Amino acid sequence: MNSTCAATLTRDFDHWTGRFVAMASPCEVLIDEASASLARQVLDAVSSEAWRIERKFSRYRSDSAVHQINQSAGSATPVDDETANLLDFAATLTRLSEGAFDITSGALRKVWTFDGGDRVPSQQQIDEVLAVVGWHKAEWRRPTLRLRAGMQIDFGGIGKEYAVDAAAEHVEKIAPGLCCLINFGGDVAVRNERASGKPWRVGIESYARAATAERVVQLARGALATSGDSRRFVFRDGRRYSHILDARTGWPVRNAPHSITVAADTCTQAGTITTLAMLQGRDAEGMLKATGVRYWLQ
Amino acid sequence: MSDKDTFNATLAAATCALLGSAVATPVVAQEEASRWSFDSTLLYYGESDDRVQDVSAAVSAVRDFGDERKLSATLTADTLTGASPSGAIALDRPQTFTSPSGRAVYTTNAGEVPLDDTFHDTRFALSTSWTQPLARLYTFSAGLGFSTEYDYTHLGANLSLARDFNKRNTTVNAGVAWSQDDSNPVGGRPVPLSQMLDVGNNSNKRDGSESKDVLDLLLGFTQVLNRTTVLRVNYSYSDSSGYLNDPYKVLSVVDPLTGDTLTRVPVGQGPDGVYVFESRPDTRTKQSLYAEVKHAFGKPVLHFSYRYMTDDWGIDSHTGEIRLRWPLGEGYIEPQLRYYTQSAADFYRASLVGGAALPRYASADFRLGEFDATTVGIKYGHDTASGNEWSIRAEYYQQSGSVPQQQIIGNQAGRQQYPDLSALIVQFGYRFKL
Repeated sequence: MNSTCAATLTRDFDHWTGRFVAMASPCEVLIDEASASLARQVLDAVSSEAWRIERKFSRYRSDSAVHQINQSAGSATPVDDETANLLDFAATLTRLSEGAFDITSGALRKVWTFDGGDRVPSQQQIDEVLAVVGWHKAEWRRPTLRLRAGMQIDFGGIGKEYAVDAAAEHVEKIAPGLCCLINFGGDVAVRNERASGKPWRVGIESYARAATAERVVQLARGALATSGDSRRFVFRDGRRYSHILDARTGWPVRNAPHSITVAADTCTQAGTITTLAMLQGRDAEGMLKATGVRYWLQ
Repeated sequence: MSDKDTFNATLAAATCALLGSAVATPVVAQEEASRWSFDSTLLYYGESDDRVQDVSAAVSAVRDFGDERKLSATLTADTLTGASPSGAIALDRPQTFTSPSGRAVYTTNAGEVPLDDTFHDTRFALSTSWTQPLARLYTFSAGLGFSTEYDYTHLGANLSLARDFNKRNTTVNAGVAWSQDDSNPVGGRPVPLSQMLDVGNNSNKRDGSESKDVLDLLLGFTQVLNRTTVLRVNYSYSDSSGYLNDPYKVLSVVDPLTGDTLTRVPVGQGPDGVYVFESRPDTRTKQSLYAEVKHAFGKPVLHFSYRYMTDDWGIDSHTGEIRLRWPLGEGYIEPQLRYYTQSAADFYRASLVGGAALPRYASADFRLGEFDATTVGIKYGHDTASGNEWSIRAEYYQQSGSVPQQQIIGNQAGRQQYPDLSALIVQFGYRFKL
């Protein structure tokens, strides 16, 4: 995706709806009571922020910061402030999850393909990849990162949520106090309450039936994030392997809920909690209860 | 995973560092309620000794339109059968009465409290209400109710307004309800204190219906005392006027010395004793004060309530109830104990003395006499995986009353004055959402 893909703006009953595609997801921004020109300005701010973050942190784009880091594995690479902030944040998540979450675990995708098929790698294949997985194997002294040869990072699991919060912050700068709902593929944030005091109604997609809402959450402000395996899994010998990989073992997490939705103050917090809860597998709900957040499971 | 506070604090700090601002406005999110929710119940009420049996089915539906706007409707169907005391006293001889229709007679055995067994009815009731916020902190609701049975129709309307104070920890509500009931008894309305006549003689019965108007005013106060305790206090005032008699209730007219019912000789078929139809005042004013405390001991919840009622007929009553809801597996179990006691109405008479001047008002209806009642019950509720709930409740009701000593004349002392009553109540409930 790139910025030549247009962002479209339409007028609905009591708000504007802007749509575009970024980070391989349908994105939308709903804008409460604003002039057409302000609505367009807000949509442009949100979409340009989404596309900027996508360009910068995509591991597929040769001009991205992540690509450069991965290409320089083996040598020390200085990174900018924003990337450093994300690395610090990711390191905290690794610590909170006792190593289950790890931004270097993407290498495991060489052996795991979650396409609904039945390919399960051998333990030997997994062990080979695990040699280059583990944040503790990287040397991170802000602002310099040195990955071991063969290691790579990606910000899957936090990048999209971060983009939602960053876009919300961007809107706040150009139109302070304006109420809009930002939704990047199901990760949602609302910074200010609507003038009418009414909440936005956010449908949570059914795990079993795509495009149907399992439930509706009324969000006045704050954020929602959803993590799930509805379309990404491997099915073999009657066992379903979710795409959530435990970086310590290289194996998918067992018995995790199909979908977890969490409400939190920011989309980054909500997304982090869903991801870390998924990594708890069967104990996901126990962890959600312990954090005291509002959550919904499927 | 480290403990909850450390986890949350670490995540909040890391997020703040990442996003570079202290944005954290607390999240306000809640799941939208299902649009439709239903509550269905099937209830059996059975009194001992083949007295009243009631089977009642009710379905209530609530449609949630969001923004705290709700429409609800309840449909109830009841079938009553059995017999209820007519008000006449027991005697050592059989007694014959004209049935309320005036077309037949029935006989009660010696020593038995006379029951009128022609009692059966089917009732349908529909009530609806609409609730919505009126302004910030104000909630308004309005309702209409209608019910019909063979000899009775009821039409009612109500309005209420609630206001929250003190960060919604205090709610004050006021309500007004009005109803009109039309009574059109089988065989006509007997003239109060007129004698029960022979079959075919309806000269003391009036055709057509008579109505009763009831105005209720309610003032309520709810206070959240702390995180685990809620107190509610209600005061209500009720004013009834119009036809307040029970057209099927009579009093025995007795000999001043023996206390036995005076005999009469029917022409053809008719009563073999002297019985007069009851007479009640045509107004009644009730006031009641109700207090309820709910307290959660962790998961278990204790519910205690007390009601005091007093009216200008001379009846004072006290009701105390205690319930404990105890979590059990996927559901809960709830034992319940209720005690009720009331004093008699000023015009309650077990019988009237022949030859003496008739009082203006008199009734031998046991429900206006002095009695107390204890109910013990238990309920089990089970939450299903899909968030619905089914429940079963069983209650045992035991009532015993007495007739004032000074009203007991002659032979009456050796007979049953005020029969005990026990009843079994079983209810199945299923609550579900769509």
